[in-house]
Amino acid sequence: MKVIKIDKKDWAGGLDKASSGYRFFGPVEDKECHNFKELDKGELPDFNFSNTRLSAKSVVFPQTEAMFEYSLDENEADHHLMKECRKNDAPRAVLGIRPCDASAFLLVKRNFDNPEYRDPWWVKAYESTTFAGLACNNPCASCFCTSAGCGPFDEKGLDVLLVDAGDHFLAKVVTEKGRKMLAAAGWNAETDADIEALKKDAESKISSFVPTDKLKDKTTMELYNAAFWEEAAFACLNCGTCTYSCPTCWCFDIQDESKGKSGIRMRNWDSCMYPLFTLHGSGHNPRGTKIHRVRQRFMHKLKYYVDKYGDGIQCVGCGRCIRLCPVNIDIRKICEKMNSYEPKAGDCNR
Amino acid sequence: MSNYTDKIREISERLLKEGRVDMVIGFKQGTMPMMNEPCFVKKPEDVSKLVWDSHCGINLANYLTDRKEKIGVIAKGCDSRNIVTHIIENKIKREQLVIIGVPCKGMIDRRKIASMSDAEILSVAEQNGKVIVKTKDAEKRYERTDLLQKNCALCVHRNPVIYDELAADLVEEQKNVDRYADIREIEAMPPDEKWHLFDDLFSACIRCYACRNACPLCYCPTCFVDESRPQWVGKSTDPIDTKTFHFLRAYHCAGRCTDCGACERACPVGINMRLLTRKLEKDCFESFGWEAGLSLDQRPPLDVYKTNDPEDFIK
Amino acid sequence: MGIEPDRLHFSWISSAESTKFVEVVTGVTEAVRALGPHQKFVKTNVKVA
Repeated sequence: MKVIKIDKKDWAGGLDKASSGYRFFGPVEDKECHNFKELDKGELPDFNFSNTRLSAKSVVFPQTEAMFEYSLDENEADHHLMKECRKNDAPRAVLGIRPCDASAFLLVKRNFDNPEYRDPWWVKAYESTTFAGLACNNPCASCFCTSAGCGPFDEKGLDVLLVDAGDHFLAKVVTEKGRKMLAAAGWNAETDADIEALKKDAESKISSFVPTDKLKDKTTMELYNAAFWEEAAFACLNCGTCTYSCPTCWCFDIQDESKGKSGIRMRNWDSCMYPLFTLHGSGHNPRGTKIHRVRQRFMHKLKYYVDKYGDGIQCVGCGRCIRLCPVNIDIRKICEKMNSYEPKAGDCNR
Repeated sequence: MSNYTDKIREISERLLKEGRVDMVIGFKQGTMPMMNEPCFVKKPEDVSKLVWDSHCGINLANYLTDRKEKIGVIAKGCDSRNIVTHIIENKIKREQLVIIGVPCKGMIDRRKIASMSDAEILSVAEQNGKVIVKTKDAEKRYERTDLLQKNCALCVHRNPVIYDELAADLVEEQKNVDRYADIREIEAMPPDEKWHLFDDLFSACIRCYACRNACPLCYCPTCFVDESRPQWVGKSTDPIDTKTFHFLRAYHCAGRCTDCGACERACPVGINMRLLTRKLEKDCFESFGWEAGLSLDQRPPLDVYKTNDPEDFIK
Repeated sequence: MGIEPDRLHFSWISSAESTKFVEVVTGVTEAVRALGPHQKFVKTNVKVA
């Protein structure tokens, strides 16, 4: 694959040039942390970050997304009919997404874009997006991406991999989409610079490793009934921080809201940590306690997903849930517990 | 405060051995710098798991709600006041508890430390009133008193108000603390300015409810934001809904909040929602001379009626 | 929290105090009219992005 050298002094100019063809999204600092937002004309992404507070999933899958509109005004011909909202699906480019967040989209894709179901909103947004990732030269101590099928220079899920090399970026072209974006910006100085050494250096800085090799051979019900869940779940507050900050959590809830005679049907992120998530109309809740809910989160990510897709865990090792959890519940420790679990006689927790 | 750990272990071991409690609720060493995890210990041989340092900011009263066991609970000043509130509100019985009081010198503000460093913080330790912050390439020392959590810097009840055991000698309470300087500034603002301030304050909220769930006062079986028949508050990221949640939650805490700081500490995006709870705390103090959780014999002002209640606002 | 003080009024009026009722309601109406329509805390439908 080609590598293009982009001088940092040509960065703003190139983005400006490409901005006629793309809506740009990038990390911007606000209130002491970075998050992704749509960049205004001329606004530059701020790459002075280790990772954004929240993941980039909201660019494709917003926390609140209008799906349908309707009118309750009987004078209108199409009253009480759900009409799909017209969305801006002009090409967009996400600048500076970390490889972990980009590869998370591939895991999420299994839910939103599969042979049985294609979610029109997610698919349109995803397909219109070019992902120009920024390699992680200095991974955090809480990142364990290399244990989660990813890595600081991982290319899957990306269209371009940018590597910060001091006064310039090295842009590795991964897909045709990526090549087009670089061309639109007028960046075309091919170089034979090698990013392998930088990649090795970054990978060697990963200090956190999590064994996942035995998860698929564990018996689901034995793990489900393991005694350690009581202890593991004790501290949990059942807030939604882990799920909302997670780039691979995809659950949502659909709500109608109307004002006057017009209304919308929208979806909002939901969280398996909330009691309401599984509450039945009858009042029964199959996941009625904290232990049920904590177990579900980890079993889904580290066992059900592993079994269902046969392609590793539903986690990219970005470490956000570890860093943001108010009570320090650490997925690495839980994964270790699950991976090394051997049932003992009488060991049961229902 | 780290020498508290030995004493806490000693007391816990004794309580468990003597069968006075079924479990001790405390903290175990966290996996991240400046983080500890609330935990329980049920066997005397496991007490070595328990630790105490300046990162035990989560309010453990939150873990007592509706429990049926006999519990030894470790309590700082604020935790103890919330335990009092829990007892008054019938969320736990006094007889179920052995309170291991921890005279507290304040918890350390992990966000402040993180914001002072450009590099990732790898460890934080304490020595003789100094906090030693290590990053990959540097080691910096700070005065501990400069790094306290905001609520701890303003705290006037560091000693537990109710306890059966003590993990250390009582500490001197902070005197002449002006708890409400920032609140008075907001009170003096014209309405538009206030509106703008709260707009900005809650703009980063992701509705994860970590503040509510970390709060020992928020134990309603179904929170008003979770009600669906009828649905009082919208579920989207609409700023009006977000503010409705924060304003109403704060009102539900009026006269009960001890300013333990659990809400702000838990918030993943660092929102200072204590601006709301402290305004109500201030009002309760000024109107009723009330500070929450100091006595088992008095009910909070908003759940009692007194003929001399101030009512100047009624025309 | 940013609501103008004149928008919110409390009064205790006995059913026998008809004159006071009229005075209070007139006063409230005038005070709120002077402020104009309330723009804050008014929700609009979610925007379509």
